Amino acid sequence: MVPIIEVEHLMKDFKIAKRETGFAGAIRSLVKREFITKEAVKDISFTIEEGEMVGYIGPNGAGKSTTIKMLTGILVPSGGSVRVNGIIPYENRQKNAKNIGVVFGQRTQLWWDLPTIESFELLKEIYQVSNERYEENMATFTDILGLDEFLDTPVRQLSLGQRMRADIAASLLHDPPILFLDEPTIGLDVVAKEKMRTFIKEINKERNITVILTTHDMEDIEKLCKRMVLIDHGQKVYDGEISVVKDRFGKIRTLVVDLEESDCILQLSGGKVFKEEGNRYWIHFNRDEVSASELIAQITSTHNIKDLTVEEPEIESIISRIYQEGFQDLPNPVKV
Amino acid sequence: MFNYRVYWTFTKKSFLRSSVYRFDVWSRLGSNIIFLLMWGSIWTALYAGREEAGGVGFEAMLTYIVVSQFLTGVNGAGTPLWEIQEKVRTGDIALELMRPFDIPLRYLFADIGSVAFYIVTALLPLYTVLFIFMDLALPTDWLTWLYFVVASIIGFMIRYCIEMSFGLLTFFLVETGGIEDIFYFAMSLLSGSVIPLWFFPDWLATIALYLPFQGIYYIPNAIFIGEIAGAEILVSIGIQLFWVAVTYMTLRLIWNRASRKVVVQGG
Ligand SMILES: Nc1ncnc2c1ncn2[C@@H]1O[C@H](COP(=O)(O)OP(=O)(O)OP(=O)(O)O)[C@@H](O)[C@H]1O
Ligand SMILES: [Mg+2]
Repeated sequence: MVPIIEVEHLMKDFKIAKRETGFAGAIRSLVKREFITKEAVKDISFTIEEGEMVGYIGPNGAGKSTTIKMLTGILVPSGGSVRVNGIIPYENRQKNAKNIGVVFGQRTQLWWDLPTIESFELLKEIYQVSNERYEENMATFTDILGLDEFLDTPVRQLSLGQRMRADIAASLLHDPPILFLDEPTIGLDVVAKEKMRTFIKEINKERNITVILTTHDMEDIEKLCKRMVLIDHGQKVYDGEISVVKDRFGKIRTLVVDLEESDCILQLSGGKVFKEEGNRYWIHFNRDEVSASELIAQITSTHNIKDLTVEEPEIESIISRIYQEGFQDLPNPVKV
Repeated sequence: MFNYRVYWTFTKKSFLRSSVYRFDVWSRLGSNIIFLLMWGSIWTALYAGREEAGGVGFEAMLTYIVVSQFLTGVNGAGTPLWEIQEKVRTGDIALELMRPFDIPLRYLFADIGSVAFYIVTALLPLYTVLFIFMDLALPTDWLTWLYFVVASIIGFMIRYCIEMSFGLLTFFLVETGGIEDIFYFAMSLLSGSVIPLWFFPDWLATIALYLPFQGIYYIPNAIFIGEIAGAEILVSIGIQLFWVAVTYMTLRLIWNRASRKVVVQGG
């Protein structure tokens, strides 16, 4: 079977005009502008099969959104090739548009000053969705996402969570086979995040929609994706099963404790102090080997704890650990 | 490929949207009337009681001004220049690139919607009253009216293509204040909207005649007052059609380059 998304040696440079300073600089820039080239995406290749749900992750500025924008056809690649459902997106934007649904968590695609329902109706016309299909979809989405509580409210008055729900419903009205979600849970509270995840999971399963998802929330990935593509500085670092990365890096938790005294030597079985500042200590531990409460018990037997927190691993910290420790000995090395 | 229902939706939506911004309609109508009075009194003073100047009678001149203000109302009701600049500046234009429609056409149809609303609710009532109660030189045969309507519609298209092209230059330039100035200057002077071409010094009239702007105001208006008549009418409409074709192709060319240059901020 031909993969539904094919990305090969994809590149994107941005030319940024250099800001000259001072009077002489201003005059010079009138005549000749200097540009700095920023390589947002350097050389990324991957393929995605129909029905897959893939987490596309990486630290801030890694090039995730830039990649998604090239998949949607908004941006023209500087090199390499993209194919989405057999179409080269930037050459055939309108045709590609019918195949994809897109949510950019950071900005809405709904019409700002129209009541939410009117945006839906407008999209219905734009995508030529039949009345029956429209009713069906609206019923399903309303059911899971609770749209009915704000359908008559203008988009600009929606809360972030409501807006995000409206946006994802809007992206699916025309039954696209592919869905791009760029940080669909950003800024949502725990309950709203959970709802969003349930919804994404369901449409992926029920409708066999192929999903690419970027996020900074490790839980999104854990709950939704089997596979992840990890990028950094515009290059692919890892592509494979999440469980592999999670087994290896995701179980490391950090216990942060404030003790009454400083300069203690903490000897802990199952935990390792990797940083200390005054009387605050950061301790790595593997939750499979030792529980946080066991560690705390060990510490309290010799010291007094004033305060403590347990930190979940963020995708950023996992990535930085992957960087430090390397991939060479991962059982499932980088696929190219 | 062309699916008119999609575009028609934008016409309907922007028609309805205009009705939400009713204050806008009234304030525009207000300024339209003020300009009408202003130009009316300026030209009355310039004629200074004479029956005729530059080969054109006072009554015809007054009619020219009224028609010109009417056309200004029509052509000023849509705001694609401003809208497109705003979309480019905020990066929202990119989101429209992900939709299955053609952007220049989508804005044209939206423009038609807001213009239609303004014509129906404000311009037609006002100018019907003016035509009835003022002493104006109205065309006596229906064919001239028809030519006028046709020429005005073509003029509207020329203006749209030019305005949109100017708006799209936002993609290539950091500051666009200068662009706007050039556009509005050409629109008001070279189009003959405030001073008819026959009062221009020869050299300026020649320049204006070789530019598309006269097709927006001067040609329909001169047809209306009978300054362009007979076989000349068809020639003038031919010239307008030529300019629609040229400005439309220019718009497409600029759009093709612009849409490859989209820069999306943030996200
Ligand atoms: N329009 C642009 N002009 C210039 N540089 C850009 C532009 N868009 C993105 N960049 C740069 O390209 C790099 C990748 O940006 P991108 O938005 O793809 O990152 P990201 O992985 O989505 O990050 P985040 O997690 O913060 O959303 C960044 O260094 C960014 O500054
Ligand atoms: Mg991003």
